[in-house]
Amino acid sequence: MHPTPREITRAGQHDVKIIWNDGHESVYPARELRLSCTCAACVEEMTGRKTLRPDSVPQDVHPLGIQLVGRYGIQINWSDGHHTGIYTFETLRASCACPQCKASR
Amino acid sequence: MTTVEKSPIVEQILAALRNVRDPDLGRDIVSLGFVKNIEVSSGKADVTIELTTPACPVKDKMKEEAHQLVLSVPGIREANVTMTAQVRATAGPSSSQFLPGVRNTIAIASGKGGVGKSTVSANLALALQRSGASVGLLDADIYGPSIPTILGITAKPAATERNFLIPVQQYGVKVISVGFFIGEEDAVIWRGPMLNKLLDQFLGTVEWGDLDYLVIDLPPGTGDIQLSLCQKIPLAGAIIVSTPQDVALKVAQKAITMFRKLNTPVLGMIENMSYFICGHCGQREEIFGSGGAEKAAQRLDIPFLGKIPLVTSLRASSDSGRPEIIDNAQSPVAQAFIHVAENMAAQISIAAMKGEVGQEVKISF
Repeated sequence: MHPTPREITRAGQHDVKIIWNDGHESVYPARELRLSCTCAACVEEMTGRKTLRPDSVPQDVHPLGIQLVGRYGIQINWSDGHHTGIYTFETLRASCACPQCKASR
Repeated sequence: MTTVEKSPIVEQILAALRNVRDPDLGRDIVSLGFVKNIEVSSGKADVTIELTTPACPVKDKMKEEAHQLVLSVPGIREANVTMTAQVRATAGPSSSQFLPGVRNTIAIASGKGGVGKSTVSANLALALQRSGASVGLLDADIYGPSIPTILGITAKPAATERNFLIPVQQYGVKVISVGFFIGEEDAVIWRGPMLNKLLDQFLGTVEWGDLDYLVIDLPPGTGDIQLSLCQKIPLAGAIIVSTPQDVALKVAQKAITMFRKLNTPVLGMIENMSYFICGHCGQREEIFGSGGAEKAAQRLDIPFLGKIPLVTSLRASSDSGRPEIIDNAQSPVAQAFIHVAENMAAQISIAAMKGEVGQEVKISF
């Protein structure tokens, strides 16, 4: 089975924290998460080239709400109005920025 | 465990029942909490055992074992074992939004069309219902909804005051089909967004009530509707139907890959049209080379749930709307469906007990 969150909550003021079912914790800074959106509006479908311009995303962009997508990911409603991206648990776990995970990549 | 009288003899009976193992869950029925009641009066013991599905494939075997073990306790001359069932839920995150009273939602899928997925779906629903479970059947095959024909349904669903659809009851199963809403001659050429809307309506506005199992007959393939479904509701899992043919198996693997990507457990594989039983002499012919799906299931590490034979009577009963499980439950094909349904129910119970699925994801943002 893929990694699954036990809890999705807030870290600090705007950042997203995921507590995984194996007890591991990941924190995703809000703006970085917004910039890493993989939806078709942010990444070109065929080439995989990023079309989202970082300077178009407000510095203080933050999630307004988070919904589950089936049992494999989440969708985030962003303060800049964007909401089409699906963040799969698999990619979220793979991009965990904690020192331990970074070292193992 | 609730005992009226927890005397030494009740303790002895409990100790004896620890020798009854549930082979699917791999533990004894006492530590699983299945023994619900033990009453003893003047040498007669009444024992109630509650399983996780009424369609348990080893129910009779476990009952007999328990019976013998209770009788082996000194001082017990007569034993009466009652088997009941309480289906556990595997429904997990966001289940409250759609299908609130449904404990387990199972999608029946296939990689390609024409493998008899709808016939399998309908008969599995009937077999589960026959075991005593409350069952719903959602025919989501927008490209060729055939459940109404297979089950001989001519009625249309009624609506409640709140504008919720009331499923049509047929042979004890609650049925909703896309076929209720489109004419038989209409071709469905709806695309993504419309499909999504239809699915929303299907999932959100049907009054299913309390169901142990909701069987969903998916359209063949790995397109929009399969994807949307896995996004909208947490399925207990998917069942893949395939013929033994190599080409069918190759596409079935695609479906399996899709479900795995969507983190939907694949609960098992069924081999349909496995072998042909001659209507005249009863001889078994392996037209497509039986056993291919079983081998594929092994290789892909998926439980193999059983084989369904190709018989003329199944085609005839599907066309006439009188399934053999209803009219002739002892026939080989009816027995094959019952066997597969029991194996499927066992896999769902295993998943529910393991907690692999159904874990709530707490969102506090």
